[in-house]
Amino acid sequence: MDFSFNDTQTDVQNLANQILTDLSTTERLNAIDQQEDRFDDKLWAQLAESGLLGTAISEDNGGMGFGLTELCLFIEEVGRTVAATPVIPVLVSAALPVQKFGSPDQQKRLLPDVVTGKKLITAGLSEALAECPSSPVTVAEPTGKGFKLTGSKIAVPFAHKAERILVTAKVDDEVAVLLLDPQAEGVELNREISTTREPWFEVVMNEVLVTEEDVLVTGPEGRSAALWIAERTVAASCAMQLGVVDQSMKITAGYTCERVQFGVPVGSFQAVQHRAADCFIDVTCLKLTTYQAVSLLDSEKEATNEVLMAKIWAGDTGHRVSYASQHLHGGTGIDKDYHLWRYCLWARQLEMNLGSSASLLAVLGGRIAEGKAFAE
Amino acid sequence: MKIEFTPEQDALRQELRAYFSELMTPELTAEVSRAVGEGGGPLFWEAMDKLGKDGWIGVGWPEDMGGRGLSEMEQFIFVEEVMRAGFPFPFLTTESVGPILAKYATARMKEELVSKILGGKMMLGIGYSEPGAGTDLMSLKTTAKKDGDEWVINGQKMWTSLAHHADYIWLAARTNFDPEVKSHSAISIFLVPTDSEGYSCSPVHTLGDVRTNATYYDNVRVPLDHLVGDEGMGMLMIFEQLNRERLSLVNVGAFLKLFNDVTQWASDTEIPGGKTVIDQPWVQINLAKSRAGLEALKLICYRQASEMTRGNLAMEDASAAKVYGTEFFVELYRNLAEVLGVSSTLHRDSKGAVLNGRLEELYRTASIITFGGGTNEVQRDLIARGGLGMPRAKR
Repeated sequence: MDFSFNDTQTDVQNLANQILTDLSTTERLNAIDQQEDRFDDKLWAQLAESGLLGTAISEDNGGMGFGLTELCLFIEEVGRTVAATPVIPVLVSAALPVQKFGSPDQQKRLLPDVVTGKKLITAGLSEALAECPSSPVTVAEPTGKGFKLTGSKIAVPFAHKAERILVTAKVDDEVAVLLLDPQAEGVELNREISTTREPWFEVVMNEVLVTEEDVLVTGPEGRSAALWIAERTVAASCAMQLGVVDQSMKITAGYTCERVQFGVPVGSFQAVQHRAADCFIDVTCLKLTTYQAVSLLDSEKEATNEVLMAKIWAGDTGHRVSYASQHLHGGTGIDKDYHLWRYCLWARQLEMNLGSSASLLAVLGGRIAEGKAFAE
Repeated sequence: MKIEFTPEQDALRQELRAYFSELMTPELTAEVSRAVGEGGGPLFWEAMDKLGKDGWIGVGWPEDMGGRGLSEMEQFIFVEEVMRAGFPFPFLTTESVGPILAKYATARMKEELVSKILGGKMMLGIGYSEPGAGTDLMSLKTTAKKDGDEWVINGQKMWTSLAHHADYIWLAARTNFDPEVKSHSAISIFLVPTDSEGYSCSPVHTLGDVRTNATYYDNVRVPLDHLVGDEGMGMLMIFEQLNRERLSLVNVGAFLKLFNDVTQWASDTEIPGGKTVIDQPWVQINLAKSRAGLEALKLICYRQASEMTRGNLAMEDASAAKVYGTEFFVELYRNLAEVLGVSSTLHRDSKGAVLNGRLEELYRTASIITFGGGTNEVQRDLIARGGLGMPRAKR
């Protein structure tokens, strides 16, 4: 039972923190908000240059060959700076499954260019009111040389810039994991305006042909592959949420020490301290449940319950810390010239992505009833 | 970072689980449930003796003190399993005061008492609170004055739990009366034998049927070497002891088992119409909330144990564990009691009592946990100060 970081992990953390805090400043984020797409191309190039985009991609494919733990520590730092970079869809939801399930050819075609930042790949894991990619409504009909895809995905980040979009689809009783070319005939991309302003798209697929070279997983392994992808994406979202709420809490504690009312810093009032202390406890719970989930997934251990519990904490903690931070700032928290407002939006986005606390409590409760979640 | 037990730690847990299922005979279980969590009966002392002989009490203590030399993590695993088994282990003596005593007591006292503690042969009572000094401990009035080669102690303590089983009271008393000296360096710690002349103890009966005590010190004389550490070091030792106590207070062993027992009961118990209790969606939600909350607490405890192994238990983390754990327990008891319904209010001796009336009893004993061991308001002050750099709150 080791809760400490090794040297590699500390190095990744420090490197990520340094690049992100240097480049993703409030001024830079304000400028990016004026662009059509909330994407920081200079930052992405720098992350590529430093090797961080290849944190969990094998050396054969140009990466550093570390694990999910190191990648999630990097993602936590992105949360801390609310930087405009699609690290989760590109590096977790799309790149990890290509590396895990893809043929050498598929890997060579996509991964080295992800590491250098030349190409983006992304994933469409959600459908309207169907948030688990292992039970999609989208249908894939076998054609003999591949599949014909019909259905639609929502909340797909950077679909318009992606080389490929990883999607799951139903094939009779099984699930296929496929790589969709957004430029293919029959694909329609409709821009959505997400609360964080990350460019999102509804991806409508109308009998779109997916050739064999873009088939990632089919057959009986498809459903478990979809779960493999979902669990890693959820764990990475928890790590990002951890960075968001930890920083939001620290900004808030700092602010209350500066803000003077009744002749003293408001942070000297017990009522204010206690609300902040509750945030500290929430953040601690999110941190530990998240690190446990990431650590188990990194060793390819069964972690379904642990991932569910981490995401339940990510939802609850996101909600509570975000509102407490806003409240303790008074009007300053909502002022767009100050930097807290983005944390608030990110916390909400991550709270709702891929299963809310209420829906996941029901899933966990179901597993408890099936005898699959006794406390060890 | 690897948040899993090592194979050796897993094996240790299995070994302990098997060990305790043998140790907890029906007779011992009956004896300890009559004494509500405090032990002290003949079978209890027999079991303590066995735990000592088998080397369990000191599993994480250094070998030169008579322990097995494993880490704080193994020590924590042992306590978790002892709690899971439902044995009223005197953790305040062994886990909380014991290590501080071993660090600061005089050589003679250390030699005598550490072997007794690790041998399962003694219990300590903690004498901090007084009628007029609870959360504000530094206002305590009990005095100790040096007279020749003895200390003379006068005063009264409240809530001296386990004093009626204890061989010694771990007592805080004022030793400096200079008004210029700050309170936190005017307090010292003594080991007071409970067979001393002038010492007396009277029971206080509580809501949870747990006995606690008022203890009185009327010109009690103890030898000089019964002072622990240096004169005026009392508050430092108290803080160190309380940080350890906070971790012990929220040990999840017993509650992991309680959760599993309620889950099993809900799966096995039919409701009218043929379904079982656990088929109801609200039951599943209550259980899921309990499970997710317990998981966080379990990890908080494991991290603390791991930090203690590395010798850096932070004040804010100990306080966060205490606040979160105790407030979560109160919610946990309610969530689980709701699953049992009105049967959760039946006393263990009643016809129809469910799971040995544990939830009825827990409801009555739970009110102490949020203020005992340092009230949660003060813990939140410490978190804000230590964890978030906020200014010292006015009180």
